[in-house]
Amino acid sequence: MNPASEPDQPGQAVGPASQDAAEAARKLRDMIAKQFGRSLHIRTLDTGSCAVCEQEIRLLSAPHYDLQRLGFFFTPAPRHADLLLVTGPMVRAFDVAARKTYEAMPGPKVVVATGACALGGVYPKDAFVHGDVGEVLPVDVWIPGCPPSPLALLYGLSVAVGRLAEKAPGLTFLAEDDPEGGEQ
Amino acid sequence: MTAVQPYAAATSEQLVRQLADLGSLEVGDGAATRGAVTVRMPPETLEAATHVIAGTPGVRLADMFAANDGDAATLRLVWALDSGYLLTEAEIEGDQYPPLSDITPAAFVEECEIYEQFGIRPETGKPLNRLMLPPHAGPDFPRLGHRPAQPPEEVHAPHTVGGQAFEFPFGPVRQVGVESLYYGLVTSGEEIVDVYLFTWHKHRGMEWRLRGQTLPEAMFLAERVEGLSAVAVGWAFAAAAEAALGIAPPPAAARTRAVALELERLYNHAAAMAALCQATGLTVGQSAAEIALERLLRVNATAFGHRYLFGVVEPGGATRAPDAAVLQRDLPAAYGELRRAADALLNTNSFMDRLEACGILTAEQARRLGLVGPVARATGLAADTRLNGSHPRSGPAGGGPYAEHPVTVITAADGDVLARFQVMLGEAAESVRLIGTFLDAGAAAERTPLPVKGDGEAGGGHGLGWAESSRGEVLAWVALDEDGRIARARLRPGSVRNWRGFDDACRSQNVFTDIPIIEASFWLTAAGMAR
Amino acid sequence: MPLWSVRGLRRGVVTTRYPAKPDQSAAALPTPPAFRPRELTRQDADRMIAVCPRAALRRREDVLIFDVGACAACGRCAGVAPHAVTASGEFELATTTRSALIKEIPILGDQR
Repeated sequence: MNPASEPDQPGQAVGPASQDAAEAARKLRDMIAKQFGRSLHIRTLDTGSCAVCEQEIRLLSAPHYDLQRLGFFFTPAPRHADLLLVTGPMVRAFDVAARKTYEAMPGPKVVVATGACALGGVYPKDAFVHGDVGEVLPVDVWIPGCPPSPLALLYGLSVAVGRLAEKAPGLTFLAEDDPEGGEQ
Repeated sequence: MTAVQPYAAATSEQLVRQLADLGSLEVGDGAATRGAVTVRMPPETLEAATHVIAGTPGVRLADMFAANDGDAATLRLVWALDSGYLLTEAEIEGDQYPPLSDITPAAFVEECEIYEQFGIRPETGKPLNRLMLPPHAGPDFPRLGHRPAQPPEEVHAPHTVGGQAFEFPFGPVRQVGVESLYYGLVTSGEEIVDVYLFTWHKHRGMEWRLRGQTLPEAMFLAERVEGLSAVAVGWAFAAAAEAALGIAPPPAAARTRAVALELERLYNHAAAMAALCQATGLTVGQSAAEIALERLLRVNATAFGHRYLFGVVEPGGATRAPDAAVLQRDLPAAYGELRRAADALLNTNSFMDRLEACGILTAEQARRLGLVGPVARATGLAADTRLNGSHPRSGPAGGGPYAEHPVTVITAADGDVLARFQVMLGEAAESVRLIGTFLDAGAAAERTPLPVKGDGEAGGGHGLGWAESSRGEVLAWVALDEDGRIARARLRPGSVRNWRGFDDACRSQNVFTDIPIIEASFWLTAAGMAR
Repeated sequence: MPLWSVRGLRRGVVTTRYPAKPDQSAAALPTPPAFRPRELTRQDADRMIAVCPRAALRRREDVLIFDVGACAACGRCAGVAPHAVTASGEFELATTTRSALIKEIPILGDQR
């Protein structure tokens, strides 16, 4: 989650002055996450999906899942949105609309790329598509799936606001009956 | 509810005889498209032939597309008869061909697409709109053929209503949770004068990307052309490939595909019902429909391992068999949920009032534009691809699952949103019945192996495949090269046919707030149109 | 409207308690594969890479590199190497670091 809407630069050295700045940034992020954790407004963005991810997203407000009980709400206005939920492989012809929607959202804001298409998994980069939402927008959270089910989306949104710790770094994808020293 | 008798099989033979009178035809069987009667003709005969065919009652233009054969483009028209399909093709040497959309308006959108992709256009020089490719698509932008000599125009007829009208752009980023789609609304205030749709911002270039792929690779993408019709588009594609290879899936695998197709129809109709409730502002109805939809998706997951039935169809057969016991246990309850919600809606006057006389399409409009699916059936046209048999002529088993277990085609008369809703409800009941019948007859995960190279049958060949999605007829045409890879794949989901009827439906005395209702009653996708 | 209120009350609550409590419906969802390194040979790996529709699998020497983010859980890899692949059962995959979705699977099947 980037209050300044810039992706973090990897591998930066941290000296004393920038340590204070890093500490302040961490405090700011935590404060924002706490607010988002109580009430978060979501704007969706379709950059060229096959329409199934949208159906799963629509079901988030259906009785079985009811995202509002978790403090998440949908909003049609980017100006009121805190989180941009992006599907599709970022068709190049859509770039302008994507950037405009992102820029219309006031900071602090979170960008969540959802579905295999958005994560670079279905379309290679070519003349029609970027193949990956991250080529055009600064992504903060990635949710795999084809499509990600509403449960996976609820999990992803909870991770995005810092309400749940993410499991992915600890998962090994080694079968339990042959873990070869790793733990599932 | 109407039970429909198919026309006598002689129709296509009669037509071919009439065409033969025009001279210099080849009626193909060898290098022709398997799965359809193919008639190849010189371009000079195309206009007269199209007059003859378009003038025959009961014949509908199902698709028109081009493919490169060496340097020249071959134009192909797919005509739907009640007994099957007729393909007329002609090689176009220059960059012009006869004005087909003047004879059959159902061809206009296809003429625009063909011009963008292959650079050939009707002789009359009539203006063609930019359709699939984005405005910035320069000369080097990938196309299926040669680029047009001049870029297509943006032509809209001038509109005035009492001297004043303005165009109001809406989209492509629209309400939450819906696909990106651009509408140009032409209005004089509240009333809709016209609606233009642009889908080029979702154009992924699927037909271009499929070239050179093997069939398994292509299958993965074909399902994702229009994910909400994954089974239908997948089946049409697989059937086209099988026809090209001269094989047929085992009957039990064909029944598996049919079970999946009917489950897909069920959940789509439930989703359309939820969208109708949302569009009319009936939140309780929307919630009830969404409960039914979620239960149906869970039935899909437990029966076939995927909520949206991806990965069930493969070239040659089906990868997964449905868990029949689970399906027979869970489906009636899920369908019951849908039925009860529908019954409550049909008794809610505030809801019904919004649907009646809204978004009216006449049978004449549906016929002229070549519309398909519930949209066409709600105007009284009894066209349903499941009556054609779901199997190419070349197969040993003949008719396929729908020939053995005939479908009752549901139609209605008024052509409004209510009629479309009623057709969907009738189809949902019919789908549940069909699923039970297919499961009783046995549905398995089997496949006919694809011929390997060196078999004599491998590679080369063209095939036509089709399936009836929840939105209407899906067509696929595949040309394979010597290695069995795709030389040209044409995928035409139902959405491509039906979006062109959307502006006629919106124009019939409707206001802005009716647009989401009409859109829900069509239940198409931008992805299926844009590909 | 009384029609709808009565229906709703009789229907009861269907809302999941997820994420506070686990949801049973997750068991039927397709999930990315989990691998058995001791059963996995280089040949298996190469066959899986060939059928994966979208480059979620690559091989570097004796390591299979698996991009969970690119995985569509289509099951084709399991289809060509059923002894070496099973369903992971994991659907809680969201992450704030893209590289956390790139996994390295040792290929040990050739050593037996």
